Amino acid sequence: MLEIKNLDVAYGYAKVLHDVSINIEKGEMAFFIGRNGAGKTTLLKAIIGLLKPQKGSINYQGYDISGISPEELYLRGLRYVAQEKKVFGNLTVRENIEIAAYASHEPLERALDKVVSIYPKLKDFLKTKAGQLSGGQRQILLVGRAFVGDPKLFLIDEPTQGLAAIVIGEIEKILSDLKDRVSAVIVEQNLAMVNRLADRVYILKEGKVAQEITDRSEISDTRKLEEYL
Amino acid sequence: MDKERADKFYAEEGTEPSSELKKVPMKDHGVIEFIVIVAGFLLITPILSTHRVTDFMIFCIFAMSFDLLYGYMGRLSFGQMLFFGTGAYGAGLFIKYVSGNPLLAILIGILVAGLLAMFLGLIIVRTTGACFALINLAFNHIGFFLVLSPLRKITNGEDGFGVSAFNLGFLNFSSRPIMFGFVLFCLLLTFFLLKRLTSSPYGVLIRSIKEDETRVRFLGYNTFLYKWLTFVLSGSLAGMAGTLTALNYNYVNPNAMDVHSNVGVIFACLIGGAGHLYGALVGGVVYMVISNFLPIYIHRWEMFLGFSLLIITFRFRKGVWGYFQGVWKYVLKRKENQALMAKEAIRK
Repeated sequence: MLEIKNLDVAYGYAKVLHDVSINIEKGEMAFFIGRNGAGKTTLLKAIIGLLKPQKGSINYQGYDISGISPEELYLRGLRYVAQEKKVFGNLTVRENIEIAAYASHEPLERALDKVVSIYPKLKDFLKTKAGQLSGGQRQILLVGRAFVGDPKLFLIDEPTQGLAAIVIGEIEKILSDLKDRVSAVIVEQNLAMVNRLADRVYILKEGKVAQEITDRSEISDTRKLEEYL
Repeated sequence: MDKERADKFYAEEGTEPSSELKKVPMKDHGVIEFIVIVAGFLLITPILSTHRVTDFMIFCIFAMSFDLLYGYMGRLSFGQMLFFGTGAYGAGLFIKYVSGNPLLAILIGILVAGLLAMFLGLIIVRTTGACFALINLAFNHIGFFLVLSPLRKITNGEDGFGVSAFNLGFLNFSSRPIMFGFVLFCLLLTFFLLKRLTSSPYGVLIRSIKEDETRVRFLGYNTFLYKWLTFVLSGSLAGMAGTLTALNYNYVNPNAMDVHSNVGVIFACLIGGAGHLYGALVGGVVYMVISNFLPIYIHRWEMFLGFSLLIITFRFRKGVWGYFQGVWKYVLKRKENQALMAKEAIRK
């Protein structure tokens, strides 16, 4: 599904990713963990086309997508949910979904229903300005909106950062519902969630892949993951 | 997830779109809006004179063109007068050198302004913020000096030139009531066109671009195309306002492209409330009343405008229309609460 080979990415002269190689199979949920500044967000930005790699290749469904614009990648089924939980605050929740439906040529009713089926409480907020939603509701809206159209690969950056425990539980439920239906690359610091959801874990250290873990027993062991960190 | 799998999933989950989601409760108040706008301008006509109200309506069209760019798409331009002036010169020169047909002249004026916006838009819409505002200003300056000096053989430079269109049946543009009616028709056409556009997915999209263009790109949109289209539409509408001014005054001079006049349309949008078509109308009328009548009583009337902008910035950020909308929402909420309390009292 997604294969990255020998990827180098830099901000100007400051190289952030060094020779990163990963491989994610169709239907897999891969988690990237690592300390701040390890290059997790940079990797997602490089995949989505916001940063141009210095070296290496990013193959998605057999095609090299390095240098392709974010708008084209969206149409190819890539969905990026950024860290900042930024919705279109002055638009209503309905309009936030509408804009995604329009882009992916999906009928609005169906798009609304998809999002509402993920989180039924959103039905009560359809006419509310998205800026008035709580942080958790915004994140759910963003993940739900990413589901509009025909998504194939989710790229989600720190979905639970700064959220209350109860909301984290809801987001985890949504992500576990997505499992097996789409592939996902998720950057996350919440190891308990990684334990439960990950099919594959990459540990990033100083811009390099320090460890790739595919063994379920190792993934579900929080202490083991902490050791790697 | 491929389509087949998606269909299977929805079939399994039983998540066919519910009827509640299918219904989009969009109330269309078109007839009421039509009556309010027409009645509003007709009511002020006996007080302010037909010619002056015609001028006000033209300015409102211009304000709506600017509002589309600034209020809806969030691109502040200091050079909207370029397209206004291009429309005025396009129509005026067509009448002077080619044909006195006023309708053709209007079409030519809009077309020329639109074509100029198409060409300049390719450069301008790539920028944002201060750069966008200043590039517009720069092109406006270039346009102003072009009609003033290098093209003076055809534009008659600073002196300008007279515009006398011939009559087309009952369309006698030198008759003030006819001009009034025609401009009112153009104003309504612009209002309903923009209302339709801004409430369509296109409208949602340009409002999203105003908030965060990068995120709109993440949703698969070529934002450049939409920004360019909006710029062209805005320029064409400004051009239409220019053509109508040329016909209303039977005269065109470089003032039609004066860089300093951009301040007026910015003020109008801020006073009325940017991002609302009604705001542009209200702001347009309020600004024209201030700029037409205040100089009679106050020598340095522009200072008053400065103060009013300060008050708007600090107290009424959403403008006059936005303020009234807020008050209206408050009243409705209060009524709702009172009804709920009454129900609760009866229940007890």
